[in-house]
Amino acid sequence: MEISPIFFYLFSGLAIAFALMTVLKKNPVTSAFSLVMVFFCFAGIYAMLGAHLVAALQILVYAGAIMVLFIFVIMLVNADIPSLDLARSSLFLKFVAGALSLVLLASLVWVFHGFKQVIPAGPFTVAAIEKAGGNTQVVSEMLFSSYLLPFELTSILLLAAIIGAVALAKRQAPKSKLAIDRGVKR
Amino acid sequence: MELKLIRPELLTMTAQELRALYPILILVIGSLLAIVLSVIKLLSPKFSVFFTTVLVSVAAGLVALDFFGAPPVPLFNHMMVVDPFSTFFTVLFVGALLVSCLVSFRYLDREKIQHPEYYILMLFSVIGMILMASSLDLIVLFIALELMSLSVYVLVGFRRADRRSNEAAIKYFILGSVASAILLYGAAILYGCTGTMNLAEILPILSRSPEVQGPLFVVGMWLVVVGFLFKVASVPFHMWMPDIYEGAPTPVTGFMTSGIKAAAFATFLRVLFSLGYGKAMTEAIQVNVHDLLWVIAVATMVVGNLIALTQTNLKRMLAYSSIAHTGYLMIGLLSGHKSEFGYAPIAMYLVGYSIMNLGAFALLSMVGGREDHGLNLQDFSGLGKREPWLAFAMSVFLFSMAGVPPTAGFVSKYFLLYGAVQAGEVPLVVIAVLCSAVSVYYYLRVLVYMYMKDPVGAPSGSRHSLWAGAALTAMVVLTLQVGIMPARLFEMARVALASF
Repeated sequence: MEISPIFFYLFSGLAIAFALMTVLKKNPVTSAFSLVMVFFCFAGIYAMLGAHLVAALQILVYAGAIMVLFIFVIMLVNADIPSLDLARSSLFLKFVAGALSLVLLASLVWVFHGFKQVIPAGPFTVAAIEKAGGNTQVVSEMLFSSYLLPFELTSILLLAAIIGAVALAKRQAPKSKLAIDRGVKR
Repeated sequence: MELKLIRPELLTMTAQELRALYPILILVIGSLLAIVLSVIKLLSPKFSVFFTTVLVSVAAGLVALDFFGAPPVPLFNHMMVVDPFSTFFTVLFVGALLVSCLVSFRYLDREKIQHPEYYILMLFSVIGMILMASSLDLIVLFIALELMSLSVYVLVGFRRADRRSNEAAIKYFILGSVASAILLYGAAILYGCTGTMNLAEILPILSRSPEVQGPLFVVGMWLVVVGFLFKVASVPFHMWMPDIYEGAPTPVTGFMTSGIKAAAFATFLRVLFSLGYGKAMTEAIQVNVHDLLWVIAVATMVVGNLIALTQTNLKRMLAYSSIAHTGYLMIGLLSGHKSEFGYAPIAMYLVGYSIMNLGAFALLSMVGGREDHGLNLQDFSGLGKREPWLAFAMSVFLFSMAGVPPTAGFVSKYFLLYGAVQAGEVPLVVIAVLCSAVSVYYYLRVLVYMYMKDPVGAPSGSRHSLWAGAALTAMVVLTLQVGIMPARLFEMARVALASF
């Protein structure tokens, strides 16, 4: 499928820019909103690839539900105080980390640029999907047949995450000690 | 081309397939049952959840043992396979779960964190480990890895009132997530190169068309390998380990050092083989992987052992010793395809290593005081007079870790190094033996404190938990039993590794 290079570079450029903002901005709310924008850009790329269902889900689930939760949590725990003092890390470490990241970037660019091999198209061509009833039907049928195990496993993973969150957040530890710790920190 | 998505064979299951799934089903049902029991106050969740976990792990272990040796059963559209390899490790994980639960019961009371979630999360984490070792698909592998890691992140931070525990949990969570992300990126690149996410399909593709193994494939493979190297804590990626081992509740540390390391190594082996290591890999890549892993193995052994020399806290010391043992295990990885034993010594070593570490950490959680104080070397002064049995058990474990006969540690190391000599990795063996010699110093220093120093403080007089005592005794017996009669376990390890 042909995708328009202008929009591809627009969306991926914006995604990279917002991803950088997510990491570099000190204010958690700014970071969270930058992340929302990253998800929107990804949704644009998915839509260009013909995966309209994934694009819609990306916006509904990630940019919508999950990010709202993120921002709620940030507001609730009042985390807009920068917890990480960037000036504390030494200049040497920053230099080494930056240099190594550039090396990694360069090697990835080189590797992807040199990748000339043609991957044969799989069974999921646009025509075949149209014939089988469209994206949504194909995805849902696969979810409950070929990809049943990962699908069910994800539900166990979510259950474990819920229980873990309850175990960590439930207030029944000796309160005095926690209060003292917090007092020292502020 | 017509898409045929709902094939009838995906929606049905034969009796043999169901039987292969029994251990996982028992664990899943057990964890759901435990969740329900934990809210029934009438039955006292503390006991009901504990006993459920113990019974479930015993049942799953027995069922898995019963299934051992049966031909491989691929399941769920070849997303996972139950073969002797995965069954072997299932028994190991479930054993680690059982021992950790028995040890935890009194420990949680002492730390006042006796919550049923603890056991439930352990069950979930073991389900993740089993599925990791049996996964044939990169998606399943990743979800199982996350299931295991997520549960353990929470377990590490379970002592919420303790700042060290909180710090350890946050550190582990952030670093572990980065490692998972790197692994995921590597998996995505491998999918891009080969066009499949199924591990069983990658190998035929690689041998059919070697031109797939271009630079992109190498990058993808290394990203995946780095993800695993983080989980097994080999040297450039070991920084997380000491702090997290120290901050985690002691039984959880024992669970991590046996379960997580074995799960990561088992999956590492399966992925590395299916990427053609020792088989379909082109000569240049094979040499590259071998040389880099060689350097990492040596660095892991040397750094782990040297830093362990300076530690005075026993938990930290065992953390560094655990890093050193990762280095020994990597020798098995490097030499497996050229020796007559194959990769069986790795499985054997993982079992021996798990037994002695579970034992040692069981003992530490019995000896330690509240908030894990009293685990420094001085606190072990005169333990031989105060608690002769505990001191004896500790000596057995320490001798085993140092590799002194007749213990599990000795035979595992013997098979491992024998295989390495056969494979012509003599320099590696020399380094490993020298490192072991160094390690004797810090292991035996604990013995010196226990038997040759005067006792400090009055005997505590507190009774030890019966459950923990039983687990500890079992580990001592197993350490000696494997050390004296290793043939049966080694045969099992060979059968397990023959399924590749």
